[in-house]
Amino acid sequence: MSHKVLLVDDEAAVRDLFNDLLKKEKYSVKCIATGEEALELIKNENFDVVLLDIKLTGMNGVEVLQKIKEIKPDTVVIMITGFGYDEDLIAKTREFGCSGYLGKNMPISQIMSNFKLFIKTVEDKKIGKQLKPGL
Amino acid sequence: MNISIDGKDKLCHKLLDNASMLIFFINSEGNIVISNKMMEAITSKSKEDILGKNWLNVLYRDSNTPIKQQMFRAVMENTMTYKRANNFQEVIVDDHNGEKIISWSITPILSESQDLEGVLFAGNDITDLRKREESLKKIDDTLKNIFSSIKDYALYVTNLDGNITYYGMGAEAMFGWQKNEIIFQNLSLLNPEEVLKSKLPFLLEQVRQKGKYELEIDMLKKDKQSLPVILSVNQFLDIEGKLSGYIFIAKDITEKKKLEYQIFQAEKLAAIGQLVAGIAHEINNPLFVISGRLELLLSKKRLAGKEREALDIINSQASRIRNLVDRFLRFSRKGILKIEVINLNEAIDNVLPLLAYHNLHTCKINIEKDLEKNLPLIKGDLNQLQEVFINLLLNAYQAMPEGGSIRITTAKISERFLEIRISDTGSGITQGNLKNLFMPFFTTKKEGTGLGLSICYNIIKNHEGSIDIETQVNEGTTFFIRLPFIQ
Repeated sequence: MSHKVLLVDDEAAVRDLFNDLLKKEKYSVKCIATGEEALELIKNENFDVVLLDIKLTGMNGVEVLQKIKEIKPDTVVIMITGFGYDEDLIAKTREFGCSGYLGKNMPISQIMSNFKLFIKTVEDKKIGKQLKPGL
Repeated sequence: MNISIDGKDKLCHKLLDNASMLIFFINSEGNIVISNKMMEAITSKSKEDILGKNWLNVLYRDSNTPIKQQMFRAVMENTMTYKRANNFQEVIVDDHNGEKIISWSITPILSESQDLEGVLFAGNDITDLRKREESLKKIDDTLKNIFSSIKDYALYVTNLDGNITYYGMGAEAMFGWQKNEIIFQNLSLLNPEEVLKSKLPFLLEQVRQKGKYELEIDMLKKDKQSLPVILSVNQFLDIEGKLSGYIFIAKDITEKKKLEYQIFQAEKLAAIGQLVAGIAHEINNPLFVISGRLELLLSKKRLAGKEREALDIINSQASRIRNLVDRFLRFSRKGILKIEVINLNEAIDNVLPLLAYHNLHTCKINIEKDLEKNLPLIKGDLNQLQEVFINLLLNAYQAMPEGGSIRITTAKISERFLEIRISDTGSGITQGNLKNLFMPFFTTKKEGTGLGLSICYNIIKNHEGSIDIETQVNEGTTFFIRLPFIQ
């Protein structure tokens, strides 16, 4: 099953790269530059996963994460971090229900395999939830 | 002017009475024959009570002072016997107003046939003079005492040639030279050559022009160790106000310097940390895009061998940048510590086997451990602290390419801190390198990144501890790590 992924990053080259990497892995991808635009989109459209850079121009990643969890609590949000990211900020995202982290400082192969692993864990949990009432 | 004999006699008495000295003359029986007004004034006796009376009874009001009387009598008898003049000072003459100190000159008066006719006493009242001298001496003693008691400052005085004329106890304590070793020696004993050549002449020139001057300089102790001081120099003027030397007051500022250096170092490292974090952050996106695009290119099946090879090289160089930035960041990171309760003795024991994984030379290195039993526990990040120990131990190994020994000790050193010492018997660190030791990117090793010790410094700082170093070229180096323990 092909997951719908929304990528939020304020740099075009990064968006293009993620677009190509994810498409290569057969994900359906939409890329957007700001948190504000992303929230508008999420209101009207369902995404399985949001890849969200913590540092954004305008609203920062933590605020966007909080809003997403208000609008669509079931959306899986994975934060993108990198070298020198504010560690206090990263710690906060944990409280607001982010499902995992991908670091721009990791090798690409590791980023992709981590991404797939997150998706799988989340799927397994979902299946667990669905199965539970019937057990 | 003709004066009659009688007139001469009168004139003589007049002269005697107007003299500001005590004058009297005794015959060979010791009775006073001639005396002047000053005698009456000093002894508070009338002419009748003086003339014809035994001189000692006149001079001393009572017999409370037999020893003084005996001494004076002995001097007088010596004068009579040997017919020789004598001086006798500090005879105390009692009078109603108290004691007087008189400086006497005692002269035998001889007849033409050299027979003794009597003895002439002439005395100066030096009571006030002596009192002044005594109070001056008291002031002098007090001043000497004050100067000697100053221990925080080294006080010394030189003449114009720079030879030391005064050297206080504070100076003894500060420089290690004892007073008797250095007095009248030249100032050059206390100053290193470069100071003697440039700073000291400048300093003294300023003192000559402005009266005083102050400078931070390095001085030299007896053991040839350098000592940072604030040296303040004043002109030393003689009674006529002429420059006769220099007064030096030196204050030891070793501790201040140390503290200043630590603050400077901490600020510098913090600034570099910020810079590194900023740069690292800016590297994220471009490096990520480069690596990602490379990955995509490499995943294409139809690539010529040469092209693939080139891309592989680019890829490995990119990951080198990534690793480097990662290390920089570990230095700059304020760091979220994974805090746990740690027994440092165990932590050290567990680190030692890890050394085997590093590429160490095979020369014989002894590791001695002296770990304090019942060492208090600390709170900290075990991985990070072990990284510090590994770093220091590896440095110690590398400082001893010909072999040697490493000594690790732990001990509680105060009510708050415990200390880990790691000493080696290696090549030591030169003063020049010591300054930059904890600076990131500073390395003396061919293959070093210069981050090891700066990371150690940061880790220990994040644990609210301190890291210090003592080193001697060709003798070895000791690192002191102090960490607060759980109360």
